[in-house]
Amino acid sequence: MSEENQVEEQPKPLVLEKLEANYADARLAQDASRGTVIIVIRKERAYAVLEYLKTDPELAYTFLVDVTAVDNSQMESELMQFDYARFMVVYQLYSYQGQCRLRVKVPVHENDLNIPSVTGLWKGANWLERETYDMFGINFEGHPDLRRILMPDDFEGHPLRKDYPLRGRGERERFNFDKQNA
Amino acid sequence: MGLDFVGRGTEETDGNIITTTIDKVVNWGRKNSLWPMPFGTACCAIEMMATLASKFDLSRFGSEAIRFSPRQSDLLIVSGRISIKMMPVLKRIYDQMPDPKWVISMGACASCGGVFDTYTLIQGVDQFIPVDVYIPGCPPRPEDLIDAVLQVQQKIASGASPKGVEVVYE
Ligand code: SF4
Repeated sequence: MSEENQVEEQPKPLVLEKLEANYADARLAQDASRGTVIIVIRKERAYAVLEYLKTDPELAYTFLVDVTAVDNSQMESELMQFDYARFMVVYQLYSYQGQCRLRVKVPVHENDLNIPSVTGLWKGANWLERETYDMFGINFEGHPDLRRILMPDDFEGHPLRKDYPLRGRGERERFNFDKQNA
Repeated sequence: MGLDFVGRGTEETDGNIITTTIDKVVNWGRKNSLWPMPFGTACCAIEMMATLASKFDLSRFGSEAIRFSPRQSDLLIVSGRISIKMMPVLKRIYDQMPDPKWVISMGACASCGGVFDTYTLIQGVDQFIPVDVYIPGCPPRPEDLIDAVLQVQQKIASGASPKGVEVVYE
C-alpha cells in the first residue's frame, strides 16, 4: 500500500468539540467536504448556535459569507433525512482568526417557512436573506426590510423552487409597461 | 462620406452652385453624426466598449459622441441580456429618445434570448421595441458592431425611415 492511501488521523475540529459540549441538543448531523466542516442544526436553536459561533472568542466566525437555501423536493433521500424538510437554509461562515470555513445548514419544513433572521448578528445578512426570500420564499422573522431584491416587486412565486417552471409562467412575454413606469 | 448626392450645376455657374434636395442633405448629416446611446447590460457590452475605444475606434465612422442621455442620442445599441425587470427601463429610454431614432440589437441575447431560455429573460427585445439591425454572435466582434453601424448609415442615406416610425410622410 502506498503512503498516500493511508488515512491520517485528523484532529477533531475545535468547532465540533465546542458545539458538542455546549449545544449537543441542537445538532442533527455533521459532515465534511474539502476541509469545510458542515453541521446541520435544529431550527429552534439555529439563532442561538449562530450567535455562539460568532461571539465565542475562540471560534469567532465573524464573517458571514453567504446565506442561501436548497430545495430538496425532488431528492427523496435528502428529503427523508430530516423528517421531510423540503428546504435547507445554508449559512457559510468564515473565521479570520482561525482561518477556516464552516457551513451551517438548517432544515425548514414547507408548512412552516419561518426562520429567525440573523441580521442582528451580521448586518450583511440583510440582502442575502432578501435574496433567499425572493428565490425560495423563506420567511426570515425579524428582518428589517424583507422585500424582493432580484425579481420585480409584483412578481409572483419563487423561481428557484423546483416546482417553478424554468421558462416561467409567461411573465417574460407580458407585462404592464404603464404600471411599472408609474 | 462623399457628397455623391449633389449636382454640379451648369457651365455658367462654374461649380459655385450645387443642387440637391433637402432630404438628402439632412440624411447625409444624420448619417455621419450618429450619436449612440449605449445600453450595455452584460458581456456584449465589453465588446461594445472595445469598439468605442481607441483600438477599433468607432468615431472613425462618425459615431464619435457617445451619449449617456437618451435625449441627446439617436442610435440605441442594446448589448446584453435584458431581464423582465430591465425591459421597462429599456422601453422608457427608447421612448425618451427624440425621433428619428434607430436601434441595434447586439448579440444573441438581445436579439432572441440566447442560451438563456429562462423565466427572467426577454426572448428578444424586438417584442417590445423596433429593431433596425440585428448582430448575431456571442459576443459579436467589434468589427460586427462597426458593420452594423455602417448598415444603419446606409439605411439612413437611402432615405428609409427607421423601423420605429409607423407613419411615413410623403
Ligand atoms: S450574446 Fe453572449 S456575449 Fe452577448 S450578452 Fe449574451 S451571453 Fe453575453
